[in-house]
Amino acid sequence: MAIYKRGYERYRGPLNGHWSRLLVLPRFAWQRLFQQRLVLVLMIASLIWPLLCGLFIYLSNRLDLLPRIPGDIENMLKINGKFFLIFMNTQAVFSVLLAALAGPGLIAPDLSNNALPLYFSRPLTRLDYVVARMTTLVGLLSLVTWLPGLLLFWMQSGMAGWDWFTKYWYLGVAVFCGFAVWILVVSLVALACSAYVKWRIVAGGLVLGFFFILTGVAQMVNAVLRVDWGSLLNPTRSMYILWSAMLGEEPPPGPGVWACVAMLTAMAVILGLILERKLRAVEVIS
Amino acid sequence: MKGTEVIFEDVSKFYGEVLGVNKVTLHIPPGITSLVGPNGSGKTTLMNLMTGLIHPGRGSITVLGLSPRDPEQLMRVTGYATQFDSAPRWATGMEFVSTGLTLYGYSPTEARDRAWQALEQVGLTEAAGRKVAGYSKGMRQRVRLAQAIAHDPQVLVLDEPLNGLDPLVRAETISLFRRYAAEGRHVILSSHVLQEVDLISDQVILIANGMIVAEGEIRGVRDEMSEHPSQFIIRCRDASRIASLLFCEDHVTEIKMNDDRLGLLVLTRNREEFSRALTRIALAGHVIDGVIPSDESVDALYEYLIGGGRA
Repeated sequence: MAIYKRGYERYRGPLNGHWSRLLVLPRFAWQRLFQQRLVLVLMIASLIWPLLCGLFIYLSNRLDLLPRIPGDIENMLKINGKFFLIFMNTQAVFSVLLAALAGPGLIAPDLSNNALPLYFSRPLTRLDYVVARMTTLVGLLSLVTWLPGLLLFWMQSGMAGWDWFTKYWYLGVAVFCGFAVWILVVSLVALACSAYVKWRIVAGGLVLGFFFILTGVAQMVNAVLRVDWGSLLNPTRSMYILWSAMLGEEPPPGPGVWACVAMLTAMAVILGLILERKLRAVEVIS
Repeated sequence: MKGTEVIFEDVSKFYGEVLGVNKVTLHIPPGITSLVGPNGSGKTTLMNLMTGLIHPGRGSITVLGLSPRDPEQLMRVTGYATQFDSAPRWATGMEFVSTGLTLYGYSPTEARDRAWQALEQVGLTEAAGRKVAGYSKGMRQRVRLAQAIAHDPQVLVLDEPLNGLDPLVRAETISLFRRYAAEGRHVILSSHVLQEVDLISDQVILIANGMIVAEGEIRGVRDEMSEHPSQFIIRCRDASRIASLLFCEDHVTEIKMNDDRLGLLVLTRNREEFSRALTRIALAGHVIDGVIPSDESVDALYEYLIGGGRA
């Protein structure tokens, strides 16, 4: 029988918490993302519309600066749910483009380099890994979605005064929650595509394809079957209907809000299952 | 005792219809344990199972009493160097090891200190500032080892850790394993270099087609194999006389004489009886210069148990 002595002492000093450990992965990912010129250009381009919206808010609160224009100019420049709906719809397009650019580089290289065992040989679960990767996208997309959205909301609240805020406070909540749901869907799509296709460019194309092709498919279903529930297959349309309801605007004709919520939930579950299946430390032979 | 062992209880793992390992029951004590088997025999599957990278379809595994399903606890006491070369292209050796440590929760300063110590242990400090993508095969092997030992694990799992190392670094790496084992830690490694396995292992696990063929100390495993006679080389001056005396023993099945007539290869079914017979011969005045067991090696066990007994 061999005799062994415990001759070493393990590290017993302080350790960082679980969440700050998870931020190690996005920190490096952000660093690399912002080294890409295309990401920077797209990011700057996606902030032009919020700037224009800010100008619009300023003018709507300073009508005295405008020359006298015939018609009901005050009503035309009103800041309400419709205004934020248009803002959100535009920013959603930019967020998809950014996700298509940034998302594929998050998981695909780890899969093609067999690096997942390296991550999972650390105190990380698969869920931790997905959360860490998703945080990268959430951080990036937040910069072009709810952050400028809330800035616009606070700007309008500041300029229009307390009365406007008490009447329209739900718009701020809707902008934040609406974009949160959208970011979740877009991030899941980007991560699932990145996990499904190891080649980054193809994965990027797949992210765009997911949104554009499903839009086409939804329209085809509606046209061929003469129905309107086909729009449920279009995540952008479903989200638009959900946002309309959250912002207190009349939803466009088509499926109801709860049907859209159910469809988006189903999509999120399917994308989650794809991630669960693909993110294995070892290639599974089928 | 269970809290100090790596335990597999009736573990099976199938990849779809492909067998990974089947009905494996193992108790691995501290020390250097080598997994030996042909390609595709299930060595890496066993390692992935004990580090929780994959989970068994049947059975249970504990590592020092911890479940591999709990990486938060398990990976703090376990270091794993896979056989894949998966360091990011942008990372230097130092960044690769220290970034890994930040995932354990070490502060950046502590992570850098520990990364440096780990790189020092594998002799890679001079190349610490160079990108891993520019490393040679042996250097990549060492940086993988460095990231596995950097957090000072109690269980070190290493997939083919000696591949690609030059003789000097190989000797240093083996002495590192010995040091770890002497401290009461587990060093579990797989290797195809049987001579090295023989040299460094406290115990071996022979695996073929996903099933454990033998486990334990090499000598113990050899003793258990009664169907294969043990082989001994005897160096002596009066070889023909000693051969004739040994032929009188029932347990001796075969004797071959060396061309120089100064040595014998003896096959015996009973090692203890053989030992007693040799003592009697020596006491009778015959000079025996040395007795060497010639098949108490992983090489021989491998041939007997996996290679079909051709040795």
